[in-house]
Amino acid sequence: MATLTAVQILAYALASALFLGHLLTTRPGATRVARGVLLIAFALQLVDIGIHCAGGENPVSSTREAVGFVGFLIAGAFLLAGLRYRLSAAGAFAVPASLTLLVLARVVPAEPGAPRMGALGMTHVFLATLGVAVFAFAAVLAVLYLREETRLKKKRFDRMATDETPLATLDGLGLRCVSVGFPVFTLALVTGAVWIARLGGLAASEARRPEYLMAVAAWLAFGVLLLARVGAGWRGHRAAWLTLGGFAGLFTVLLLYVLRSLS
Amino acid sequence: MPGGIDFAVLGLSHKTAPLDVRERLASAPEQIGEILRGFAGLEPVREVALLSTCNRVEVYLAAPDPDAAIAALRRHLAERAGVEELELANHLYARVDVDAVHHLFRVAASLDSLVIGEPQILGQVKQAHDDAIAHRTAGGVLAACFSGAFRIARRVRRETEIARNPVSISSVSIEFARKIFDGFQGRTVLLVGAGKMGDLAARALHAHGAEVVVTNRTLSRAQEVAARIGGRTHPFEDLHGALVQADIVIASTGARRPLLTRPLIEAAQKKRRGRLLFLIDIAVPRDVEPEVAQLANVFVADIDDLQRLADEHRDGRRTQADRAEAMVEQEVARFLEGYRGRRVGPTIVALRDRVLETARAEAERAVAALPGLGEREQRAMFDLAEAIAKKLLHRPQVALKKGGGDPVDGPSLVTAAQRLFELDVPEEGGAGGTAEAGEKPGETSAESVRPAGQAVGR
Repeated sequence: MATLTAVQILAYALASALFLGHLLTTRPGATRVARGVLLIAFALQLVDIGIHCAGGENPVSSTREAVGFVGFLIAGAFLLAGLRYRLSAAGAFAVPASLTLLVLARVVPAEPGAPRMGALGMTHVFLATLGVAVFAFAAVLAVLYLREETRLKKKRFDRMATDETPLATLDGLGLRCVSVGFPVFTLALVTGAVWIARLGGLAASEARRPEYLMAVAAWLAFGVLLLARVGAGWRGHRAAWLTLGGFAGLFTVLLLYVLRSLS
Repeated sequence: MPGGIDFAVLGLSHKTAPLDVRERLASAPEQIGEILRGFAGLEPVREVALLSTCNRVEVYLAAPDPDAAIAALRRHLAERAGVEELELANHLYARVDVDAVHHLFRVAASLDSLVIGEPQILGQVKQAHDDAIAHRTAGGVLAACFSGAFRIARRVRRETEIARNPVSISSVSIEFARKIFDGFQGRTVLLVGAGKMGDLAARALHAHGAEVVVTNRTLSRAQEVAARIGGRTHPFEDLHGALVQADIVIASTGARRPLLTRPLIEAAQKKRRGRLLFLIDIAVPRDVEPEVAQLANVFVADIDDLQRLADEHRDGRRTQADRAEAMVEQEVARFLEGYRGRRVGPTIVALRDRVLETARAEAERAVAALPGLGEREQRAMFDLAEAIAKKLLHRPQVALKKGGGDPVDGPSLVTAAQRLFELDVPEEGGAGGTAEAGEKPGETSAESVRPAGQAVGR
């Protein structure tokens, strides 16, 4: 089991290095190797998840598993999107994100005394995981958008690769991610709230836990983004920054969860 | 370095001849057949192909005496063009043997082009060879040389980045636009003013599926341009309305002051709900106010940006071209090796045929002269003859295989073998031949001394 984890992490690390290398050298054909390595890493993680499931530990049964699962979904989304769009540059952001999450998940110790979550709890964790993964991918697209935009504004052509994704595609894909992620994340918040209420509600001190507030703030940011996009025509530059802001909030939530389970 | 290839090229290009001379020799596609037949009718010419583009006219030929063929061709060309042979000779260059192969390889790899790395030339070289095949003036030598040329061209394209980036202003503009938009289908291009370069870029975008709207201070001029490109016009007074519809704006007016100001674009962007806008400013003085570039989701490229991008690409191509030249050298060396091997192969086959045939004939005579020999004795007789013949063949065969490919001694060694044994080796080439002709020794050779049809098991 430990070997499988190590190999997985190694494969993700190699794929990250290859995608980052591609970003710096922009040699055509280099991404095919990177993509291949990522596919192997992805398959290994799938096997790992399968083994955990067989052992009664499904991907949303605990924070630890869910964090790794978010990374898995990001890698999957990147591989899938790569079939239709030229997104090799996104690999330099998406794959290291998957790697980080996987390592985080393996660092967090299993929670032996954790209460059984029940169907509602698992639904909440599953939806939250899915929502975070989709938003994470939107954030990757936003980073790419801003990077490409800066280059075009400054007319730094020397490193302009011909296989970059056009701004319009990045912007459109980002919007699609947010409009899928928002309802999913909304449901995650609702199920979370109901779940906690069923467990007997929160003490006043617990209700002000920073991760809850942060999650609601991130949810609001994405909501504003969708509204502004439809209502006021916010797109491109501002939409990308707002996406990043929202995701930063979510990432903090994730980090707080991990830290709390470590302590 | 002599390569023993009966191949030559005579031609002129943008490097040696001005346009008016090239024009005289240029030919329309429907004339190719007649011209090729004219060339092929010249005494020393065995095979011939004509490469005619706007930058070069070159005749590639195979002939046992390339120099004589070139002289005859030069006269023929001067007559056709209606100029003095001496005058034409100033612009013509001739290469023979390996140098001609080297030249063809460079041309096909787009290293000799006006714009290095431009992609059309390979298609044109292919067309030249196809024409020669269609008009039955191509043969084995041309097939071998041209297929070598296609190989190096593909290799250069694959292994270098020579043709990766465009170098003309209009194609650079389109390349820039591709970084912003995912294709031009359904996009609207607004052409402000009617300069020639704007015209070119708009036309190219239209070819990619964009709708073109033309606006100009003089309506009649706008209508003229719109009709030519296949677009529609928009009143110049309503520039705001035109901007609201546009995704890409190409500005090339002769206005003294910037026409597309920041307030104007800002207002349009509000109406456009912040959709991406790309302004290509190819006017001097500029049509787009520099402050416009600060607006979100608006991108501006002026003539200097585009020119710089084109220049950078051109420099990049030159660096890549050095790598490509080295590849051409390698491929020429490889080609020569293969070509010489092809000359040696048929000679070895002929030598085996001759010796084994002789041995069999002698064995048959001996058997006929000794009536009453049993089947075993007859077989022994044939086997003996074959064994002696093969022993004797071994050393010359090895010597030919080893030495036949030598650039200096090879040709004379092969010729000596052919003379000593009176071998009738078909010359390379002949109309309708292919590059692979003669490459499969053994298939047609006599492999055994035993009479045909006598199945004898050992």
